Amino acid sequence: MNSPDNNLVNIEIDGIATTAAKGSMIIEVADRIGVDIPRFCYHPKLSIAASCRMCLVDVEKAPKPMPACATPVMEGMKVFTESKRAVDAQRGIMEFLLINHPLDCPICDQGGECELQDQAVGYGRSVSRFSESKRVVEDKDIGPLVQTEMTRCIHCTRCVRFLEEIAGTDELGGIGRGDRLEIGTMVARSIDSELSGNVIDVCPVGALTNKPFRFSARAWELMARASVSSHDGVTSNLYYHTRRNEILRCVPRDNEALNECWISDRDRYSHYGLRSDERLHEPMVKDSNGSWQIVDWDVALDAAAEILTDAGEDLGMLLSPSAFNEEYLLASRLLKGLGGKNIDSRLRETTFTDDASRQIQFECQLSEMAKADAVLLIGSNIHEDAPILGHKVRQAWLKNQAAIYAVMPRNYNYHFDCAETSVIEPGKMLGQLLSIAKALGESLDTRSLQANVANAVENAAADEFATHAANALKAADNALLLVGKMALSHPQADWIRALAQAISQAVAGRCNLIADGGNSTGARYYGAQPADGGLDVAQMLENPAKGWVLWNVNPALDFDHPALVQTALAAGKVLAVSSFNSDAILANADVILPLAATAESEGSLMSFDGQLQQVSAASKAPGMSKPGWKILHRLGTQLGLEGFEFSRLGSLEMPEECAAVRTDFEFAELEVSNGLNRLGEVGIYSVNAECRQSAPLQDTHLASRAVISMNPEDISTRDLSPGATVTATQGDQQIHLVLKSDPSIAAGCVLLPAAMAETAHLGSAWAAIEVEAK
Amino acid sequence: MNKVIRYFKSLMMIELWQGLGVTFKHMFKPKFTVFYPEEQIPKSNRFRGIHALRRYPNGEERCIACKLCEAVCPALAITIDSEMRDDGTRRTTRYEIDLFKCVYCGFCEESCPVDSIVLTDFADFHMEDPKESILDKQQLLALGDRFEESISKNRQQDAAYR
Ligand code: SF4
Ligand code: SF4
Ligand code: SF4
Ligand code: FES
Repeated sequence: MNSPDNNLVNIEIDGIATTAAKGSMIIEVADRIGVDIPRFCYHPKLSIAASCRMCLVDVEKAPKPMPACATPVMEGMKVFTESKRAVDAQRGIMEFLLINHPLDCPICDQGGECELQDQAVGYGRSVSRFSESKRVVEDKDIGPLVQTEMTRCIHCTRCVRFLEEIAGTDELGGIGRGDRLEIGTMVARSIDSELSGNVIDVCPVGALTNKPFRFSARAWELMARASVSSHDGVTSNLYYHTRRNEILRCVPRDNEALNECWISDRDRYSHYGLRSDERLHEPMVKDSNGSWQIVDWDVALDAAAEILTDAGEDLGMLLSPSAFNEEYLLASRLLKGLGGKNIDSRLRETTFTDDASRQIQFECQLSEMAKADAVLLIGSNIHEDAPILGHKVRQAWLKNQAAIYAVMPRNYNYHFDCAETSVIEPGKMLGQLLSIAKALGESLDTRSLQANVANAVENAAADEFATHAANALKAADNALLLVGKMALSHPQADWIRALAQAISQAVAGRCNLIADGGNSTGARYYGAQPADGGLDVAQMLENPAKGWVLWNVNPALDFDHPALVQTALAAGKVLAVSSFNSDAILANADVILPLAATAESEGSLMSFDGQLQQVSAASKAPGMSKPGWKILHRLGTQLGLEGFEFSRLGSLEMPEECAAVRTDFEFAELEVSNGLNRLGEVGIYSVNAECRQSAPLQDTHLASRAVISMNPEDISTRDLSPGATVTATQGDQQIHLVLKSDPSIAAGCVLLPAAMAETAHLGSAWAAIEVEAK
Repeated sequence: MNKVIRYFKSLMMIELWQGLGVTFKHMFKPKFTVFYPEEQIPKSNRFRGIHALRRYPNGEERCIACKLCEAVCPALAITIDSEMRDDGTRRTTRYEIDLFKCVYCGFCEESCPVDSIVLTDFADFHMEDPKESILDKQQLLALGDRFEESISKNRQQDAAYR
C-alpha cells in the first residue's frame, strides 16, 4: 500500500497496521493506537532522553532491541512489543533498576501510584538476586512544597528536563556518573519555580513527592473529584483528591486548551488554606452592643435582607474577582431588583474611564499564545500573574524564538530571555508606551484614538528601546501584547490599555489583558461591572453608600486602597458574605454569612479566553456555610425579586449575551508624578484569602515579605542604609520596616507589597510614598 | 397394622426409653467438661482471636502506617490515619479496629509487611458498652505488650509454613 501523503509512513505494531507521521517515535504511535509500552524517562511534553531503556521493543530486522521512545518510525517497520526478545530486554532493565532501588514500598509515599511498582509487577522477578549492599543517597531539602527521597531516584531526568524546558529555571541537575549520579540542586537551595509542584507528577517513583501531603494517605483511599482553579483566569483544570470529604491534595487534570498537563503551585497547594482557623462556619450578626452573635441562617438572612432593603438603590456591591458566574449573575439581578446600579469586581484597579472601550479582553486564545513570534509585556510579572501564561510565553520564546520586549517597573525574574527591557518607574511606563506608539510611525492610525491620546503620541519621542520593540512587533506574523496585573491596576491603566490596543492593531497583532482574579472574564460577562449610570469601585468608595455587600473579599487586603475602603464601609451597613473571617471583616461588617469556597460548591467559571468551565463540589463546606448561589437565591426570593424562580442551579438559565457596560468614556488628563512612588505589588501567594491562609505556600521564597525594597541609587541619595529599619509614609499613615537594596527595581519607586496584614493600613498601592531613616 | 404398632409404641413410651438410654450410657463415660475460665481447651497456634499491634524489642512500634491491612480488610473494620512523626518516619496517628465489623479472617495479619498487626490466640473478651467494640491504637499496643510472649511463640511454630 502506498501512502497518499509523503509525510506518512505505514507501520505495524504488534500486528496492528497503522500510519504515522514521519519522524514520530514508535512510542507515540503505540500510545495512540493503545499498545502499552513500559517507560520511565519518556514524557510526551518533554524532550527525549532515552536514558532508562525500559521501552526497549523488538523491531523487525534490527540487530538488537530498540528504545521505542527514541526510534523514529520508518516505512514498513514491524514492531513487536511482546516478543520474547522485547520482554527479555525489559525484564533485564527492570532487574538493573531494582538493584539500587529500595524495596520498601510500604513506607514510600508513592506506593500505590508508582510507575516503577506497576512495571515491577509486570516485568520484575519475584525474588531479588542482588545481595550486595545498595546505594544510599542523601535527601535534599528543596523547599516546603516538594519532598525528596533521593535513594529512590531512578535517574530518568524527567524532573531535570521539566525544570529546564517547561519551568525554565534549571534548578535541578545531575551530578556524578553511573551509580554515583545524584539528582539535586548544585548548591543547597530550594526550588523556587512557581510550577515546581509538577516535578511530583513527572517523577515516576517516590523520589519527589508532595511535602505537605507526606504520609497522610494512600492513593487507593482517595477519590478524585474534578474541579477548576480560581486563582487566575487560566482556570486550570485539576482534580482534588479527597478522603472522607476532606481535600487532601490536588493534581492536574489535562486540558490542552488551558493548562495542558501542568498546574501552578498556587493551584496545587492553596487548598491547605481551606482548613485554616480563619474559615467562617456560622452566620453571625452584630448586636446592638457591637458584639458578634452566632445565629441561625433564618435570623441572619432577615438581618441581611434588612440591610439590603434599607439601602435600596443606594447599595454598593463589591465582589471578589474570583467568584462563580452564577454568583455574578444573581448578585447583579439582586442589585437590579433593589433598583441599584453600583457593582464592581475590579477591586485592585484604580481607573475606569475607558470602560466603554474595554470590550476586548483577551484576543489571543490560550492555546495560541505559544505561537507568538514577538511579545511585548507591559507591566506584567507574568510568572506570578498567571504561571501558566508565563509557561506559554516561554514556549513561544523556546520554540519560535519569539523576540520578547518588556516594559516594567522592576526587572522581573522572567524564565525566558528578553530581547530588550525597559525598567522604569511606574509613572514613566506610559511615556514608554507612547514612545513605542510613536516609533510605529505611519502604521499607527491615530484617528482611531481619542484626541488627547493621539496628541500625546504626536508629542512623544521614540527612544532606542521603542524603535527596536516597534520594529520587532511590525516584523512579526504573530505579535502578542500582554498587559499584566501591575499595568492594569496602574493609575493610568486607561491610557495603557488604549495604547496597547492601538499598538496591537497597528502591527496586526493581538492584545491580552491579564486581569486580576480567577473569573474576571465571567465578572465582565455576567454583569458584575457597572452598566450605564452605575458607579465603579473607585467612585463607590468616593461616595459611600448606605448599604454594602462584600462578596468574599477582605476589606483590608483585597483592595487597592484599604484605608479608603474602611472609611467608606463605616458610612453604611455592611453585609459580608465570605469564606474566610478576618479582623477587617469583623470590624466593618454588620452581618456575616459563611460562604462555601470554590472547591466546595458548584458553579461555572470563565477562562481568560471565554471558555466555560463547570465546577462541582469536591468536598463538604465546613459548618453551616452555603454555596453562594443558594445564599443569593434565598435573599432574592425573600425579597420577592424577579429572576430567582429556579430551584436548582441546573435550571438557572445563563444569558448568552455579554452584559452591557457603561458607555461614557473620557480619559483623565496625564499626570506625571515626581518623587518616590510606591510599587504595591500583590505577591503570587497573596492574591486571595485561600492562598494567604495556605501555610505551605506562605513558607516558600516566592511569598511576599514585609520589607521595603529600593534601588541602591535611591538609597544612597537619601542617605539611608540597607538593612536598617526605615519609616515609609503614605498620607498620614506610616510603617516601619527593614530596608532592602534591590538593583532590579527602577529608580524612583519603592517596592512595598500590598495584600499583606502589615501594609493593610496604608493608602493606594500606587500612590506617592516617602521613605526616611527611622 | 401400622396403626396398631404405632399405638403400642406410644403407649409403652419406647422413644422416651431410648432417649434416656443414651443419657444413662453417658453417666458412666469419662467427663470432658472444661472448667472455663480456669481451664482452657487447647488452641491451634493459628487461632485467630483478638487483635494486637506488636512492638520491636527496643519498644518501637512496628507499624509503619502502610495501610495495607486497611486496604485488605474485607469487613472495612480498620481505620488508619497517618502522618510524618517528628523523626521523619511514617507512623499512624489513629489505628482503630471495630471488633463488631471484624470477621476474624486474619487477612490483616497476612498483609502486614512488618508483622505488626496480629491476631492473638486470646478470645475471652467481652464488653459492656457497644462503643467499646472499637479498639484504638493504645489498646491494641497494650494487647501486643500483654501477649507478646504467646504471639512470638505461635509465629515461631508457624514460621516454616509461611
Ligand atoms: S527524581 Fe524522579 S523525576 Fe527526577 S530523575 Fe529521579 S526518578 Fe526521575
Ligand atoms: S481479621 Fe479480617 S476482618 Fe478482622 S480486621 Fe483483620 S482483615 Fe479485617
Ligand atoms: S499494621 Fe502492618 S499492614 Fe497495617 S498499616 Fe501497620 S504496617 Fe501496614
Ligand atoms: S522511555 Fe524510552 S528509554 Fe526511557
